[in-house]
Amino acid sequence: MTSTEAARELLAEFPVVDGHNDLPWALREQVSYDLAARDIALDQSAHLHTDLRRLRTGGVGAQYWSVYVRSDLPDAVPATLEQIDCVRRLVDRHPADLRLAVTAADMEAARREGRIASLMGAEGGHSIANSLGTLRGLYALGVRYMTLTHNDNVDWADSATDEPNVGGLSAFGREVVREMNRLGMLVDLSHVAATTMRDALDTSTAPVIFSHSSSRAVCDHPRNIPDDVLERLPANGGMAMVTFVPKFVLQAAVEWTAAADENMRAHGFHHLDTTPEAMKVHRAFEERHPRPVATVATVADHLDHMREVAGIDHLGIGGDYDGTAFTPAGLDDVSGYPNLIAELLDRGWSKADLAKLTWQNAVRVLGAAEDVARHLQATRAPSHATIESLDG
Amino acid sequence: MADLQDDLHTTPEIGALPVERPTGATVADAFPAEAYAAALEAVDRVRALLAEHPVADGYSGLPRALRRLPWYDLELGETDVATDVPRLREGHVGALFWSLHLPDDARPDPALSATLDQLDLARTVIRDHPEGLRLARTAGQVIDARNCGRVAVVLGPATAAALDDSLGILRVLRTLGVRVLTLAGTSWASEAGLTRFGEEVVREMNRLGVLADLSGASDATIARTLTLSRTPVLCSRSAARALRPHPDNLPDDLLAALGAAGGVCMVPLAAEQTGPTLRDVAEHLDHIRAVAGPESVGLSGTFDSGAAHPQDLTDTACYPRLIAELLRRGWPETDLALLTWGNVQRVLRSADFAARAAQERREPSAARTVELDD
Repeated sequence: MTSTEAARELLAEFPVVDGHNDLPWALREQVSYDLAARDIALDQSAHLHTDLRRLRTGGVGAQYWSVYVRSDLPDAVPATLEQIDCVRRLVDRHPADLRLAVTAADMEAARREGRIASLMGAEGGHSIANSLGTLRGLYALGVRYMTLTHNDNVDWADSATDEPNVGGLSAFGREVVREMNRLGMLVDLSHVAATTMRDALDTSTAPVIFSHSSSRAVCDHPRNIPDDVLERLPANGGMAMVTFVPKFVLQAAVEWTAAADENMRAHGFHHLDTTPEAMKVHRAFEERHPRPVATVATVADHLDHMREVAGIDHLGIGGDYDGTAFTPAGLDDVSGYPNLIAELLDRGWSKADLAKLTWQNAVRVLGAAEDVARHLQATRAPSHATIESLDG
Repeated sequence: MADLQDDLHTTPEIGALPVERPTGATVADAFPAEAYAAALEAVDRVRALLAEHPVADGYSGLPRALRRLPWYDLELGETDVATDVPRLREGHVGALFWSLHLPDDARPDPALSATLDQLDLARTVIRDHPEGLRLARTAGQVIDARNCGRVAVVLGPATAAALDDSLGILRVLRTLGVRVLTLAGTSWASEAGLTRFGEEVVREMNRLGVLADLSGASDATIARTLTLSRTPVLCSRSAARALRPHPDNLPDDLLAALGAAGGVCMVPLAAEQTGPTLRDVAEHLDHIRAVAGPESVGLSGTFDSGAAHPQDLTDTACYPRLIAELLRRGWPETDLALLTWGNVQRVLRSADFAARAAQERREPSAARTVELDD
């Protein structure tokens, strides 16, 4: 049996829980949520990293769909709700393949039924507009993690890719974390500054996640996780879900991307713009400057290191498909996960270890957050703190 | 559960309430024996009637009123508001629509965020009073709540501005429990009536089972919605314009049209719209029953919404007094049962059925204002 066959066999039993997929945003940008125009029951490889057939080929058993919205919108709440509506419509549209999941038990039920558990994660504290009531609204709608920031600071938390402002979490930021603990919404520390990661770990009584971040020791990029933070995951019980984004995981790609972003801005586009016009500019740049290519081995290098530092019980996968223009060779779209598992098998990872990486850790972490929430709800009322009252 | 059901029907205070039981020597002087007996009989009739057909109150501002209070206890009684569990029981209120409307004054938050905050508060209050209140999303759940001795809380009306011109947000608000939306105050439901997008909103509301509230809507919006909607609409707080001119009151032609379409006009206990006395309210009810029909009239307390109330109708315990007056005016019990409970139940149930039928036929609408209206 080749290692790819062994990987597929393993994934049949312990499928991948992926921490981050931006299909909803891609559907918003490409077709304004006209789900028939990008029917994921059909082959969408010309337009998207994601469709149902490729999710099945990739051995995906649970997906945190990102309900991301851009942080430069004047009001992020309406767009976030539209993203949630998009996920719920997708699930309603494909009941044989997708199942809405809001608990660890739902994830296991979906696995038993052979459906893909569909969870939701909000990407950036801007999606709650400084309101704990809105945070609870997102929870009520099924959102089960919130990344504290996206690429820009929020009023109460610093981002990894912005200038330091409050120096981690403000008092209100810590209250947001406590309220998330009380609700059972996972605190996601991808995208946040290392100071914010440490403050959140100090505050959170529930496991935290990194929905799509890799190792800063392997590739020095602010989106990755420093070792001192990874070292704290065993005590916290949380997990780091390795991401594939070449510009975060491959040192040569980090530098290339800086130049490419500069080129996008020079042509008047937002550097994350993935519209056809923007991609045309991007491709022209790429012709002049060949793009460094990350591979399956690049990602496996991160996992090897993260395993050394955090331990096998604290790792997962968060591909960031449809949220990034480029993907590593061999991990081109959501059908690629078996290649990563095969690579890790070749590197001597045991089947028991891989089951933790793909499925078990993520289910355990969500379940643990539910336990903490049940405990806290017995003693703590919903917080009505405001940013004005706590941060002045 | 069974003992709670009994609680609802036989609270000890109830004897004092519907109309003051005449007692003592002075009363005997004032009332001849037969009047005394008739008054007692009226009390019993009101009580029996409301026990069978409690009040579905179409508009309560309680969630926002509670926001101002640092602390409250609805279970034991809360004098700072006009609504609490003991007085809901006294008034035989079986269902209560909780308004998610926003204050008219300065709005620091965008409408959607403010509405989400109100929804969150409403859900928290309901969760904190499990013995008294229960969230009801459907007509069936209203009945369930009543059978468990709880007051069913129906969320809405919400303001149309909360949709931020997005049908996706309408669907999400429905998921959070919103059951009624007031079609006024947006570009697509304005004085000029419904735009094409506005019509699409009504169709999507039908698909979701969100009731249209036309109180405060323009006459053009009302007329178009009555034609378009596949399920009856509500007017959450409208009285008769023929008796008292007020922009939210309905002229006779619209009342007749509402009646023909099976909608329900819920008369507010708001002095500004009805007049300052209980008799004034009864006049409006008489008039609307005559013009729109007994199947198209309902009650709307408007308590804790900032409205000034007519005399003797100042909190949720007041309904037996009003029903006693209507009995005196010769309303048959069947019409009173429709007024307090039956009409609202019919409208909710009809919306539930229409939604199930529409979901078989129609995909969620992805229409946007820019496509339909520009």
